[in-house]
Amino acid sequence: MKHLVLTFLLLITLNITAQSKYITKTGSVIFEASVPSFEEVKATNKNTTAIINAENGEFAALVLVKGFRFKNALMEEHFNENYADSDDYPKATFKGKVTDFSIEDLNGSKKNKQYNGTITFHGKTKSLNNEVLSISKNADGSLNISGKLKLNVADFDIEIPKIVSNKLSREVDVIFEFVLTKK
Amino acid sequence: MKRNKIYIILLVVILAAYFGYNYIYQEHRDISAETADYTINASDFIAEFINDSETAQTKYLNKTIVIHGDITAQTDNSITLNTSIFCSLLEPNTISQDTIVSMKGRCIGYDDLLEEIKLDQCTLTKINQ
Repeated sequence: MKHLVLTFLLLITLNITAQSKYITKTGSVIFEASVPSFEEVKATNKNTTAIINAENGEFAALVLVKGFRFKNALMEEHFNENYADSDDYPKATFKGKVTDFSIEDLNGSKKNKQYNGTITFHGKTKSLNNEVLSISKNADGSLNISGKLKLNVADFDIEIPKIVSNKLSREVDVIFEFVLTKK
Repeated sequence: MKRNKIYIILLVVILAAYFGYNYIYQEHRDISAETADYTINASDFIAEFINDSETAQTKYLNKTIVIHGDITAQTDNSITLNTSIFCSLLEPNTISQDTIVSMKGRCIGYDDLLEEIKLDQCTLTKINQ
């Protein structure tokens, strides 16, 4: 009987550790395309969903484009209607894998890890190679994942009219920050 | 006659400046003050997305919606209705117990990863005990 209970407990714990996914529904993604001394072009999305599989480092994030908030309402309207075409392309997705991800490695300190993946926005997919992100583990067991990307507007079929071409940066900084909790 | 002409031109310029200024510095939509485009039960809403998420998403995207549903989860800044509708709140959550509520918010899309419908700028319109 004791043997049975022990085996049962062992099986349960193995099952729990085998499936470790960390999730957030309120991840933050900021993009900035400002040009110095011109009006700030910056938007924040605080409703990003992100999942990481702690077993193999596979990572996915989904950004609903309508969720990007700008300080200036007209800029937000232009972004949605003229640049991102968010009615036609309401989602931006990212899929990737962190190389050499190991949950045991993270003990309080922040680690920089490389990752590869693809990002899809405005109907176009671009691959990302050897980008870097930071991961750390919090006391409550949640994970902090953050990083920065430089993306070219042209790679995603987004046209910038000549009139505003010197007010928008061709290269956009994308900053992401996620606090993922174990599900 | 020339004087009148000048006054008219001045009036046009002032009007143009007024409307131009208001257009450029327009305010963000106040979702809580808008009349809802749709008022619907949480279960019906979810069923539409399960049936055909693309069509449902196109129908509801960016629209103001009032949803009646059960609170199945909540955090400081969000309320989840019927496990599949994620409402990001405009102001911090003040609901003290799980109840049936009506939430007004803007639909920002369907999350394929977690199979949830997401709304933002949500406010409480009614609590039903």
